[in-house]
Amino acid sequence: MRSEAEANRVIEQYGDTVRRLCLVHLKNTADTEDIFQTVFLKYVLSSASFESPEHEKAWFIRVTINACRDLLGSFFRKNTVPLDQLLDQPAPMGEDHREVLEAVLSLPPKYKDAVYLHYYEGYTAPEIGRILGKNVNTVYTLLGRARQLLKEKLGGEGDV
Amino acid sequence: MSEPLKEALDQVRAGEELKEKTRAFLSEKTRGYQKAPAVSRRPALSAAACVLVLLCLGLWKVYFIPVSVISIDINPSLELSLNRFDRVLSVEGYNEDGQALAQALDVRFLNYRDAVEQVLASPAVADCLARDEYLSIAVVDDDAQRQQALLAGVQSCAAGHGQAHCYAADGSQLEEAHHAGLSYGKYQAYLELSALDGDITPQQVQSMTMREIRELIAALSSSAGDSAQDGSSQSTGQGPGTGSGQGSAQGTGSGQGYGQGGHHGESGHHYGQTH
Repeated sequence: MRSEAEANRVIEQYGDTVRRLCLVHLKNTADTEDIFQTVFLKYVLSSASFESPEHEKAWFIRVTINACRDLLGSFFRKNTVPLDQLLDQPAPMGEDHREVLEAVLSLPPKYKDAVYLHYYEGYTAPEIGRILGKNVNTVYTLLGRARQLLKEKLGGEGDV
Repeated sequence: MSEPLKEALDQVRAGEELKEKTRAFLSEKTRGYQKAPAVSRRPALSAAACVLVLLCLGLWKVYFIPVSVISIDINPSLELSLNRFDRVLSVEGYNEDGQALAQALDVRFLNYRDAVEQVLASPAVADCLARDEYLSIAVVDDDAQRQQALLAGVQSCAAGHGQAHCYAADGSQLEEAHHAGLSYGKYQAYLELSALDGDITPQQVQSMTMREIRELIAALSSSAGDSAQDGSSQSTGQGPGTGSGQGSAQGTGSGQGYGQGGHHGESGHHYGQTH
């Protein structure tokens, strides 16, 4: 089992990433809190050793995505709620940002991870393939279709 | 799109409250980072639960395997199937009265002694006992030790219920008995009777009371004896060739005995003394 100091370090280091992934997948703050805590508990109990900070980050991303998928297995969690309820931070969000974020969140679940990892985290398709356990070509296809869908949603605006 | 998305998501952060709650959660689950949390005990608990379930299933299976039979015959003829814990699993009637009694009884899962007591106290059996009918209780079990224990139990139940014959046997003839449509006890009586009268059928025996069967057996036995004596006295006079003469005389004797109603009554006391 890992120490309290290690737990505090990763909460500071990866808390935001885990929180964002929860936002991408989950519909309410209660689920977010649940997954957030579960992910860090898994870390504390895990005996996995990491070769690099990138490796460690990829572990958090994968564990968070898997935890979210497990939770979303339930039919009752498939209802959506307005974005306002999801974003609990006080800073007001600009209209452009909100529109893009809403467009991404409204994508079918299978595209959201690839879009988030590519556009936000800056991972390449092979890296995304490794994290999500998917074929590289599948990742390219997902990203291509997601781009297409976002174009349609955003009315052809932006450099997708 | 990349830039607005980045900027929008940059605003999403794990709040201090969430982080603090998580720290408290981790501390609680790991008991101050000292012990593995309760979650880690799940595999052990699951294994224990599996073992428990298997044990229960095993016990359940063992519980519902009949190992002994108690055949109670007077006029109602029925059998109690017992498990290895001496509990009654089922009651089956082997003639009309027996079936009616089996339906009326509520002895399932009772200890065999309580069940036998209930059968003996039932109006159908109590009436027969009041008429001084003959009660037969057979304990059928392949295990000699269990046989004796069960026999002692039924003997104590039958004590004070008039003429009762309790005995134990192994299960070698149980299937034959059921095949003939008779309870074990009645089948034994049938075998005894059919040795004296080859024409008697299980169906005829089925509706007879045990006393009627015993009386018939006694009558046939005694008349066969008389006939044999007659045959030998005749043959003495005839000199050589005695052997074949005796054989034929015995056969005739049996036929006569079965037909002699009055003779049966006389032999009743003879049977009573025997048991």
